[in-house]
Amino acid sequence: MSVVVIGLSHRTSPVEVREKFAFAEAEIPAAVTELRQRGLAEEAVILSTCNRVELYLATPQPPEQAFPALQHFLVTHHAYPDPVHDHLYQLAEPQSVEHLFKVACGLDSMVLGETEILGQLKQAYNLALQHKLTGARLNKAFQRAFHVAKHVRTTTNIQRGSISVASVAVELAERIFDTLAGHPVMIIGAGDTSEKTARALQSRGADRLVVTNRTREKAEALARELGGQAIGFDEWESEFARIDIAISSTSAPGYVIERTRLEALMKVRRHRPLLLIDIAVPRDVDPAVNGLDNVYLYNVDDLQGIANEYLQQRREEVARCETIIREKVRGLLAERRPAA
Amino acid sequence: MSDRLFFLLAVLAYGLSTVHAVLLWRKGFRRDDFVNYLLLLLGFTAHTVAVFQRGYLYNQCPVYNIYEATTFFTWFSVLAILVIGLWPRFRFLGAFAAPLLFAVGVFALMPWLDPPHGPKPEYSGGLRSLHAAVTLLAYGAFGLSCAAALMLVTQESNLKRHRLNALLSLLPPIARLEIAVRQLLFTGLVLLTVGLGSGLLYLAQNRASYPVGPDVKVIWSVLVWGGYLFLQFAHWRGWVRGRRLALAVIAAFGFVLLTFWGTNLLSPLHNPPPPPPAQS
Repeated sequence: MSVVVIGLSHRTSPVEVREKFAFAEAEIPAAVTELRQRGLAEEAVILSTCNRVELYLATPQPPEQAFPALQHFLVTHHAYPDPVHDHLYQLAEPQSVEHLFKVACGLDSMVLGETEILGQLKQAYNLALQHKLTGARLNKAFQRAFHVAKHVRTTTNIQRGSISVASVAVELAERIFDTLAGHPVMIIGAGDTSEKTARALQSRGADRLVVTNRTREKAEALARELGGQAIGFDEWESEFARIDIAISSTSAPGYVIERTRLEALMKVRRHRPLLLIDIAVPRDVDPAVNGLDNVYLYNVDDLQGIANEYLQQRREEVARCETIIREKVRGLLAERRPAA
Repeated sequence: MSDRLFFLLAVLAYGLSTVHAVLLWRKGFRRDDFVNYLLLLLGFTAHTVAVFQRGYLYNQCPVYNIYEATTFFTWFSVLAILVIGLWPRFRFLGAFAAPLLFAVGVFALMPWLDPPHGPKPEYSGGLRSLHAAVTLLAYGAFGLSCAAALMLVTQESNLKRHRLNALLSLLPPIARLEIAVRQLLFTGLVLLTVGLGSGLLYLAQNRASYPVGPDVKVIWSVLVWGGYLFLQFAHWRGWVRGRRLALAVIAAFGFVLLTFWGTNLLSPLHNPPPPPPAQS
């Protein structure tokens, strides 16, 4: 009996196809029972997320015989009318176990190195465990996959750094203010990215938000949603003495914050550090303000640049992760072989 | 082994720490901070033996000559660095302080700075010992404040230039560094006030034994004290914050380092003429 994988992911198929093959949590035990009845699998874990649908199986059949039958099962189970050859991948040992480990480590994820997939994998495994759908083979493989994921996370930089504009902004704020609690945030312009950034800051402890927008109603709506306070667009300057972080995303054609204006405001602030996140295009903040002492200005390109550098670093870590994974797979498979 | 040999070992360890600090700087202070901490710990062990050997020899705090004063205040500085370094984010303080420790240590090892003295120290009396020890501890605190200021300037520059190192390095946040600089500055100022106050009190009690008139070291000390007091006040008023505060602290300590021993040597108060030989 060997471990095989059959499935489709964001790498092989678009969402319109993936959604057709998705398994609801409630239907998984029945699907595995069917696989067992057909003699295709003795153990099974089904992972169904927005980015992948994968069946991890311990099959008594030789893989080359099992795969056509498994493919047929998937197509008939979901009543998929079109050819699926281009979308499905099927892996036998050792590639199947290697794939499982890679998925657990986030190496096969859309956002390289993300950790959400590990939680989803654990959830899928626990569901299988609860319904007694697993046995010695898959239990060992999955437990080892979780162990490898932890090992890779701690010994490599695959999960290091933020790779979205919002999370880079949060990280920058933490490099200036240590903790975000007690450092008020002002949102100038109620855009989508500024909302995301504000939420990210809130999730890390920012406890006071002030929203200002040319349209007062929009400011009030966003302030309500974020649990902040709305102020008129003509009042933002007077609030500036109190805030420490400003996220600007207005659609103004020129600069909203100019150097001379800010220079005067910094005196009122007694030169406390100020982080300005300018995610507007055209830009809201005069780039010359970065020359002022204790003012840290980042525009959308700066943030994206940092996110890209982080991503590049993660990519550079992939080879190290794969070496670890291959070694662990060899170890797992060697344990199974009877001693000579 | 003599205490000077132990101090030499300590200075060698600080030298290694300096070399390692350069490597860390080139890598952007991202990892291996513990190695530098261990090198300083190694140096501190040898340094402690050196200070205690000399202290037990005279049965007092070893601050009789420039060598002893230097070993004592650097010993205190390394102790403070090691304690502060227990907090991982501040472990790099040692890497920033290591070049200063190494330079001052090499200077202290110059043979003419450690002239032999009799078995009974001339620095006797509580006020005089207090003056010497507390003043040197104050300069130790200013040295640490300078190391924290160097960290602040490094981190500030990374953030201003949008370098990824600002996020990858293990240096503390700007606000935390500014607090550290300010607190060390304040500690140094309080210690210096106590040190100078006890010196003046001692002088008032022993006026007859010392030359009368303005003394270069006293004028220098008052200037330094005034400078640090102004810095503290200016920061409190919000005139100098962040990078400016850090640069001012670095400049102030640089001035202290460059002029301390010179003024000490030129000061008649700190180099009293030897007592006339007793008539038989």
